[in-house]
Amino acid sequence: MYSDTLPAVIDCLIPPDDFPGAYDAGVCDYIKQIFQTDLAEHAEFFRAGIDAIDSEALAIFNTPFALLSRGQQISTLEGIESGAVHTSWPISPARFFVMLVNVTAEGYYSDPQQGGNRGCASWVMTGFEDAVNS
Amino acid sequence: MKKYDAIIVGTGAAGGIVGCVLAEAGKSVLLLERGRALSFSDVGRDHLRNQRLAIYGHNAGPELIGNPRVFVDPEGRSRVVKPHELDYHNNAACVGGGTRVYGAQAWRFHPDDFRMASKYGIPEGSSLADWPISYETLEPFYERAEWELGVAGNGHVIQHEIPRKRNYPLPPVPPSPHTIALQHGARHLGWGTTSVPLLINTEAYGGRASCIGCKYCVGFACPTDAKTGTQNTVIPRALATGTCELKTSAVAETIETDDRGNVIGVSYFVNSSVIPHRETARSRFVIVSAGAIESARLLLNSRSSFHPAGLGNEYNQVGRNLQGHLYPRAYGLSPARVFNGIGPGVTIATTQFNHDNPGIIGGGMLADDFIKPPIDFWYDSLPPDLPRWGIENKRFMRDNYTRVMHVRGPVQDIPNPDGRVTIDDTVRDKWGIPVARLSGTTHPATVEAAEFMRERGEQWLRASGCERVWSTQPGLILSGRQHQAGTCRMGGDAISSVTDEWGRVHNHNNLFVVDGSLHVTNGGFNPVLTIMALAFRSAEYIARLI
Repeated sequence: MYSDTLPAVIDCLIPPDDFPGAYDAGVCDYIKQIFQTDLAEHAEFFRAGIDAIDSEALAIFNTPFALLSRGQQISTLEGIESGAVHTSWPISPARFFVMLVNVTAEGYYSDPQQGGNRGCASWVMTGFEDAVNS
Repeated sequence: MKKYDAIIVGTGAAGGIVGCVLAEAGKSVLLLERGRALSFSDVGRDHLRNQRLAIYGHNAGPELIGNPRVFVDPEGRSRVVKPHELDYHNNAACVGGGTRVYGAQAWRFHPDDFRMASKYGIPEGSSLADWPISYETLEPFYERAEWELGVAGNGHVIQHEIPRKRNYPLPPVPPSPHTIALQHGARHLGWGTTSVPLLINTEAYGGRASCIGCKYCVGFACPTDAKTGTQNTVIPRALATGTCELKTSAVAETIETDDRGNVIGVSYFVNSSVIPHRETARSRFVIVSAGAIESARLLLNSRSSFHPAGLGNEYNQVGRNLQGHLYPRAYGLSPARVFNGIGPGVTIATTQFNHDNPGIIGGGMLADDFIKPPIDFWYDSLPPDLPRWGIENKRFMRDNYTRVMHVRGPVQDIPNPDGRVTIDDTVRDKWGIPVARLSGTTHPATVEAAEFMRERGEQWLRASGCERVWSTQPGLILSGRQHQAGTCRMGGDAISSVTDEWGRVHNHNNLFVVDGSLHVTNGGFNPVLTIMALAFRSAEYIARLI
């Protein structure tokens, strides 16, 4: 759906460490689901934002976002969050970024029935559930 | 056409009790409920669509489509809102009403909550007033609600009450690790504390099982039915009499009057899956128990040549003084893990600051909080200076979800007559009924009290060992939501109130409002036990009249 950009973006927002990052926890599946259902009317907005992230990466580093170093990825996202962009955005970068961060957290921390939080990984990480029970 | 002794609109905290008292007194009763009876699995455990965190929907009604309201912001801009949006001020629409999914804190109000105007005077721009009844008048009905429904608590240590005649029927919930920390902190500050009274079975009671300590109290349904609502207590009792009929998916449209303006029944739409249709039922008495927003809407929508402004609204009082509670929230990072995963999570409170705070009108109760699912915590509870994304955010969630202590509480609302429910004739629900229009704000004195309480919350957490403390504070907004109250206040005359002390609408013999709408003021406590006590009192009175 969102090519390679989305997995790279959400892994910057919730990176892997001892516990899975957003991509391994299934957040892409959550995001696909939510933009087909409750957020369907914002699907084009969101897709435009993901495309624009790639355009930013190409404009700044002449490289697609997914192939940037982690440091370059983070600085690209920080620029978008603050509205300091290098390309012409069809949508508000700051507004898009709030939605991006929120849906990523929703996919990571809410119940697995939503499509994300695979294996209740975030609930074990936070201590909401014991590893045994989840 | 069958004529009932009474039709009751709404089956929440109040309507369920009125139905039970009347039915057990042998009266024929029709209970109308616009929602459905929701099973445990109907309510579900969706972390993004529940009564506490309703990002994309909610779980206790009404349906998102076809039930709009209009919200007017403080700048005067109006917009149509859906039931799960904050500005809709939803409670619930199902059998049991809000009690199906609430947290179930079961406080008695403070004796001074019934005499706010006498105690503090009336601030400019406010409609602050005394109740027409005192704590002492309501006290036997508090006790009745506590014993007939089942409240857990420790009645010996509730500092704001005058000594109670009878303790609670059930022991309090056990302490959590954070309880001990907060107890030490309060002792250090010289503050009294108490366990939090809850409509939750800490032992088997009333034919229902005990709490199993799951993490899903507020916003969800109880897996063992240990959480007590009207849907598992008084409504089954009412139905067991054989004289009470419950119609669900029945949406009241108007209260019917005859050609002399007397109340004779209720018309409602039945949301049947076969053929949705309109019905009218006749009764000797009508009792409106639809919650502070919908009760006002129904009265205002019941217009006729005798009552051109709606029933009970000759003096333009219905729908005014909409109030709920501002909720200051404080958070502190404890040096040790304080989360043990055992719900409900709320265990300890202080009523030290409900009154007599220098320079403040009223005050409020502070308590720890129900267990928050991680996504609720992520949205609600993170420090404002923490980045919203990246490894630092994730590490905070990983390291501190079990170490953050939560203190929050309802602040006594100082009513503003311009915080109100009116009717929006341009927007209609799926049945064609004009919808509620919500406008105005609380009084600025409420915000001052909330700010004072926010500081007390931070102070408590620091004294309890938290080094890093943060808090949030709502500004001058309309309060209402799940604690909505005040829109048909009780009082002595039709110029400044809507009903008498029994909930009887002024200048009517057989029309009553019985729910949070009656509250002249809403206390600095969760209001449900007061709604229940008033319902028992009014219902006994109505039973004698019929």
